[in-house]
Amino acid sequence: MAYLDNSVVTVDAILTKKGRELMARGDGSFRITQFALADDEIDYTLYNPSHPSGSAFYGEAIENLPLLEAFPDESQIMKYKLTTLPRGTARLPIIASVSNVSLKQGQSQAITPETLNYLGNNNTTENNGYIFTVADVRVASLFTGVGINNDEAIRLNNITTLGTNVSKTVIGTSLNITSTTVNTLFGNRSQLTTSLTIIGRDSGARVTVPLTIKKV
Amino acid sequence: MSFKRFDAEDIAIGADAITAPVWSTGAPILSTFKTSSIQYATKNQYHVNVFQSTYTDPDAEVQFDITYADKLGRGTTLYNPSVPGKSPSSAIYGQYRSLVLGDEDSDFVFNADTISDNFYAISINRSRFKEKLLPGTFNLTIGSKTFTDNSKDVAVLSFKDSGRVYQVVEGTDGSGNPLNTTCYGWFLPDIGTILLDATLLSYAGVTALVGDNFNEQNSQKLFNKLESFQLNSEETVTSNYVFVRVRNSEFNYSVNPSNITGSGDLRHDYMIDAPQAYVTSVGLYNDNNDLLGVAKLSKPLVKDFTKEALLRIKLDF
Repeated sequence: MAYLDNSVVTVDAILTKKGRELMARGDGSFRITQFALADDEIDYTLYNPSHPSGSAFYGEAIENLPLLEAFPDESQIMKYKLTTLPRGTARLPIIASVSNVSLKQGQSQAITPETLNYLGNNNTTENNGYIFTVADVRVASLFTGVGINNDEAIRLNNITTLGTNVSKTVIGTSLNITSTTVNTLFGNRSQLTTSLTIIGRDSGARVTVPLTIKKV
Repeated sequence: MSFKRFDAEDIAIGADAITAPVWSTGAPILSTFKTSSIQYATKNQYHVNVFQSTYTDPDAEVQFDITYADKLGRGTTLYNPSVPGKSPSSAIYGQYRSLVLGDEDSDFVFNADTISDNFYAISINRSRFKEKLLPGTFNLTIGSKTFTDNSKDVAVLSFKDSGRVYQVVEGTDGSGNPLNTTCYGWFLPDIGTILLDATLLSYAGVTALVGDNFNEQNSQKLFNKLESFQLNSEETVTSNYVFVRVRNSEFNYSVNPSNITGSGDLRHDYMIDAPQAYVTSVGLYNDNNDLLGVAKLSKPLVKDFTKEALLRIKLDF
């Protein structure tokens, strides 16, 4: 007879920069409705299927890893989400056809991602589209998702965030982006760099690419 | 699918009362009292800031203020000598009458049926008492006498316009001395204030002077007799409890780049039949997929097709 393992784990959460912004806005957008799990910090090369002690010890190096505290910057956390896929899946979905994005001031570009290895298909556009997140919304004068016309996507496209270094998220099968024409953002620099994260809404596949805006 | 919606019963709101010593030293009892010569020189007719250390120290903070109130304007200089009764002490009296009694025609009656025309007010710094003072923790030693609130002696709560009112009596830890039933003032936990009858306080060796149109520096007289001050604050912290329920068939694959090759193949063949993922973070999202809050586990949690997980996330406001 031994003590039972407590099955409930309690952890304290912090608000992200975005969460604080939405709470301050007070328009009802600070409402937790869904969750995701991630395995940031995990290095799966530490997983050792040849461990001499057997399968119970394959993940020994990972399971004993002490973890860092949460970062409040929403673009620096929840990077690698866990996803639900059928058992026996050998290939995980990845997002292809999107590489580095480089724009001149005021230039527009449409970005249309595709997903490989999703449900046995290659180069598919996911039915529920993609989540596009720019880490610093100030670099884009237009950041709009197109191709998904449900209420959620329409609402996201209409949200305006001005003057602060926070992220913006939209939904669509494609992203239309126009870089900023505001010179003061550049200071003495010749270009601005931030990141663009694309996540498949069905597959969970994720890619982050640099987004560079060159001063004209 | 990497997002899962919460059910209605997955999110609960809880409120916890947090109590702590009022003083910025973190100690329950304050026994060192300092004033600021600059503040005193300019504002002593109204109030005296009391610090826990010399006011020029980097960590010096105002702990509370002492002020003297007089209905007739005595003990401080008149605003205008030709207008009797209008001075800082009468202004302070009116301020507390409005705040505590809420009626300009009412008088302060601390003990029996005797109207108190003058009193001291000890106002605790707001950032120190947070939300309210905790009755039963108040012990103020003036001279050789220790005063407390009578919260443990009363069966029925009294209320004024400023909320709960307890009597200030001689005693300790919320219980009065049965041999001395005099009420020396009011303990007002909801506004972080203690009122002390200036006349009755002579029992502790504090004698307020009531000269007309003269600064008697009465606040300083009480300050000089302070020996120790014990007080706790009480704060209600509202928390969101979010229950994250993960079924065995969910969240068993990771798109972590170290888990897959460039073409998307799982790095370890063993995981094709027995996939494993390690949960380190839980993200809380709104309908717009904005990441509102995030929780990190203290160690990675193994997730596979044979395991379910229930995590309770606490989000404080």
